[in-house]
Amino acid sequence: MTQDRPDAAELLDALAEFLYADVREWAPSEKRFQVLVAANLCAILGRELRAGEGPLRDDLALFRDLLGASPPAAKLDGDELREAVQDAKSELARRIRAGELDAELSAIAGRLRDHVRRKLDVARPGYAD
Amino acid sequence: MGAEGPDAGAVREALAESVGDDPGPVRLRLVPGGASRETFLVEASERSWVLRRDPPGAQSFVPLRVEFGVARAALESGVPVPAPLRFEPEGGRFGSAGYLMERVDGTSVAPRILRRDAYADARERLPDELAVALARIHSIEAGTVEGVPMSGEDPAVAACELWEAELDRVSEPLPALEAGLRWLRLNRPPPPGRQALVHGDFRLGNVIVGEGGLAAVIDWELCHAGDPAEDVGWLCIRSWRFGNDDLPVAGLGRLEGFLDSYAAAGGLPPDPARLGWWEAMGNVKWAVICARQADDHLTGRRRSHELASLGRRICEPEWDLLELMPAASSASRPGAAGSAGLA
Repeated sequence: MTQDRPDAAELLDALAEFLYADVREWAPSEKRFQVLVAANLCAILGRELRAGEGPLRDDLALFRDLLGASPPAAKLDGDELREAVQDAKSELARRIRAGELDAELSAIAGRLRDHVRRKLDVARPGYAD
Repeated sequence: MGAEGPDAGAVREALAESVGDDPGPVRLRLVPGGASRETFLVEASERSWVLRRDPPGAQSFVPLRVEFGVARAALESGVPVPAPLRFEPEGGRFGSAGYLMERVDGTSVAPRILRRDAYADARERLPDELAVALARIHSIEAGTVEGVPMSGEDPAVAACELWEAELDRVSEPLPALEAGLRWLRLNRPPPPGRQALVHGDFRLGNVIVGEGGLAAVIDWELCHAGDPAEDVGWLCIRSWRFGNDDLPVAGLGRLEGFLDSYAAAGGLPPDPARLGWWEAMGNVKWAVICARQADDHLTGRRRSHELASLGRRICEPEWDLLELMPAASSASRPGAAGSAGLA
């Protein structure tokens, strides 16, 4: 790693602690909720950074499987991975809306629980338990 | 307050005409919150009122003129509302379209209502009071109030079309939400026997609660003619329970007692399948609203970290929506209002 510690997630932890424990105390009452929202966003970012690219890879595999597409030939990283996930996600959303997947709709919805759970793990841990 | 706020002298003049005597000089304070309408506290030396108006240049689902008429009809039907006093159109004495109403004391902050000791008595009474208020709203014939949006012959079809169209204004693809929406399209309840005035956003955030209980129903900007079950389903979505997940009615109470009170006050309680459908649709609606608000930030229409954060809340109603689909759910969720009925 090029950068010295704290790493990105640790910096966000520090920021979240400052917002939550300090700023919230002296912020005017009508702004306290917004301070909490900011602290929560830092916590979300920290979890997203720590989760790495694993959830994206899992989503790509799930979406491609639901679309009946074969897994990508090469292992994708970074922007290429993000782009592939976004493309598969768009195509899946489009085909569901168009009614092309009606026959398997319940099964697809059941499997998309994993995708939504991956989002919740970062945005709202514990919500799906 | 910016230079574009309403003119205090003109508001005083309108008040003098409405209440019958001059209140004296008034001071206007913008109340924070309120995504699409501006709310001002109008304070004179002895009394205060509330002015609700469109932000200059804004467009809304239900024009404020219609909201004013709906609030009057609700008052006449025994719904507790801040008495509406005077409407002024765009370019009138309030600048943009708006209306003056009585001020009702209390809070609309749901977590406060659900947690603070001061509201313990109110919490006991609220499920019953909300049920009675809702039954009275639903007793109003939507067609008798000028300008209330209609839903066509089948409110369930109308809801699917409306929220698909709203979702299409956001570029983010949401396959889980699409699966829920598609399932709702394919499993609609039959059209209701009677279409009623539907509040459209009936939850603790849109009522005023005092320490004694329900003080007023406010914010009619999503009202329309439709299936009364829509308001019950929306009130019961998990997002409005604020952690009290086993209490489906706004985190306050159980469904059975609520529906009994609703029926005793003249409402026709929806069967579990119909209610479950509208609870699921309520989750679609909240997910789309979150996506739209995040999009307002992303496109620069309204930059705000609070709006941005809503983009990461879409997954909560998405999850609840999938839980309400029978085959997608691993086990029925005990607190779900319609958990018995979606099969």
